[in-house]
Amino acid sequence: MSAAPSCHVDAPTAVVASGDVRVALVGRPNSGKSSLYNRLTGGNARVGNYPGITVDVLEGEVTLPSGAKAIIADLPGLYSIEATVSADTDEGVARGFLDAFGKDERVVVVQVIDPTRLALGLRLTAELVRRKIPMVVALTHADVMRAEGRTVDVARLSEAVGVPVVLLSARDAAAPSALFAAIDDRLRSEAAEPVAFDAAKLARDVLSLSSDEVATKRRALTERLDAVLLHPVVGPFLFLGTMALVFAAVFLVADPVTTLFDALLARAKDGLEGAFGKGLVSSFLSDGLLGGAGTVLAFMPQIVILTIALELLEASGYLARGAFLVDRVLRLLGLSGRSFLPLLMGNACAIPAISATRVVRDPKERLTTILVIPLMTCSARLPTYGLVLAAFFSSKSPLYRAGIFVGLYFASILATGLASFVIRRTATKGKGLPLVLELPSYRVPQASVIARKAWQAARRFLRDVGTNILAVSAVLWVLLTVPMPGSQSAPGEPEIDASIAGSIGRTIEPLTRPAGFDWKIDIGLIGSFGAREVMVATMGVVYGVDGAEDDSAPLAQKLREARKPDGSLAYTPRTGLALLAFFLLACQCMSTVAAIKRETKSWRWPAFVLGYTYFLGYAAAVAIYQIGGILGLG
Amino acid sequence: MRTNLAQVANGRSVRIVGGKLDAEVTGWIEAVGLGEGVEVTVLRRAAFGGPLHVRTGSGGEFAVAKEVALLLEVEE
Repeated sequence: MSAAPSCHVDAPTAVVASGDVRVALVGRPNSGKSSLYNRLTGGNARVGNYPGITVDVLEGEVTLPSGAKAIIADLPGLYSIEATVSADTDEGVARGFLDAFGKDERVVVVQVIDPTRLALGLRLTAELVRRKIPMVVALTHADVMRAEGRTVDVARLSEAVGVPVVLLSARDAAAPSALFAAIDDRLRSEAAEPVAFDAAKLARDVLSLSSDEVATKRRALTERLDAVLLHPVVGPFLFLGTMALVFAAVFLVADPVTTLFDALLARAKDGLEGAFGKGLVSSFLSDGLLGGAGTVLAFMPQIVILTIALELLEASGYLARGAFLVDRVLRLLGLSGRSFLPLLMGNACAIPAISATRVVRDPKERLTTILVIPLMTCSARLPTYGLVLAAFFSSKSPLYRAGIFVGLYFASILATGLASFVIRRTATKGKGLPLVLELPSYRVPQASVIARKAWQAARRFLRDVGTNILAVSAVLWVLLTVPMPGSQSAPGEPEIDASIAGSIGRTIEPLTRPAGFDWKIDIGLIGSFGAREVMVATMGVVYGVDGAEDDSAPLAQKLREARKPDGSLAYTPRTGLALLAFFLLACQCMSTVAAIKRETKSWRWPAFVLGYTYFLGYAAAVAIYQIGGILGLG
Repeated sequence: MRTNLAQVANGRSVRIVGGKLDAEVTGWIEAVGLGEGVEVTVLRRAAFGGPLHVRTGSGGEFAVAKEVALLLEVEE
């Protein structure tokens, strides 16, 4: 049968296939929902198709004891279905799903509750029961309860709330059978009349301690950890140190994998040239499409490893504590500790970072975070930084170059902070929701759950971003390769001189000359409009250097030696600084633009980001080049 | 004695008795688990006027921004 018609304009309208049962897992964040989902479905997951819901709702199919097929959907964390919430946040998505499907007779809601925080979970139970939503309560963490010497009277709890209650542990292989049997029972029975109860009192009544000593020991461990990790002085340093380690690990581990992908792609390109020769078809396939695929694959290891690292920190309970530590600083910028995770992820790649803003409950804060994430130093900037440093600062000591590199990171953080400060007081001004954040208990993360999240991140990146990169790569190939009608390259100049991009480069040169950029750099900037990392390869084509993206040293040499028609050096260190400033600030990433469009559901904000970041990039480049000239810097 | 949560010293336990927050924020923090009648113990504070780390009688722990704590009325 089909899903219940929705009374909401924006509500999802997915279809439950005939005979299917849909089981929606709901619960507060950190209630153990993801671990339970993994156990129930064996880690199988596909992204459910819910028109109107842009967030990935994972689904896995299982067979109930009755023989019925059930699709288990893992909804985002949810505190309440009655409190006001923006529809774009994780909570809003979960609520939209319940609004649309909560009354469907073939849908059972399984509310996952962490019994160590039973009273908190039962508040949501009371709301769901009031709504007469067919449901089962699953108390997870039976193992933790045992370890803490605590017991819960399941029968009494079930009677008091009027719905079946199952106590289980997601680490126990027998967990699914108990829950599936309860779901079957729920499907067969008539819904009972809703009962009212006091969540806090009920929790006190059904919980008991069998051993004070064990519980005290566990609590003492948490308190000892918090005393160090949340120490007002030591805590922030430990947290920043941990983050620095995470990023170092991401680059150390991802680099060899990216190199391997590069080698494989080079072989594929050779194969294509062998099959099609060196003509236009071969160029389109190898430079246009395979080049785009290379860009996608170059990011993949970083995204996967960063997701694993951040999920480990999240699942252990440490990341929420990080939000506690840095909230004050972010408040000064008009954000809160909740924005910390997305901003941090922006240092690897803006695309997953923009998706991660769904954890921010305040719509204005969320929008501000989305608008400033493109200013963070994502990993795609690094190849260009490397080329510019090698080309314009090779005469300087390695320490000097390292100083510039570190300076770029700090400049990016400063720019993000300033942009957030200004945007929050202008474009997104208005009252915000201050931080109220649950700090979960420390837990040992489950490898299978982390692996699933990493897989999910990789797949989302391939689907949403990979396709954009491929499309932009193909368009840019046309701009860089197809000659401008009536145009011919000058003797000694590469064919790109006569291309459409070459023609545009010459046209805009007067505009970019105050920043020290000539038409050749302009071609590089046009080539990197869609994806900034393409700059190196494009400059390689402009200067006739093959394989510049693999080894940029010969290209750097050419840039150092490039001369103007009057014989003077074409580029100086201040050109390099101006170029770095432009790359630091301008949002040269169509995938980011697409991600902002997806999250804000309008073209207004992506256009705003393009406008303000390009303006800032241009203004900073001109200022640096001109002031550098006054100071006699090359 | 009535005061606001931001005034409560570390280690002290109090009960939330009301608040001057707007209805939307009140609804939200009640849903999270910091509603009227809830007993909270202040565990620590983040540096430079950052959030308070509190534990509720039911075992939940929360980071509460000082701006919210200032508007939450509590009683010892």
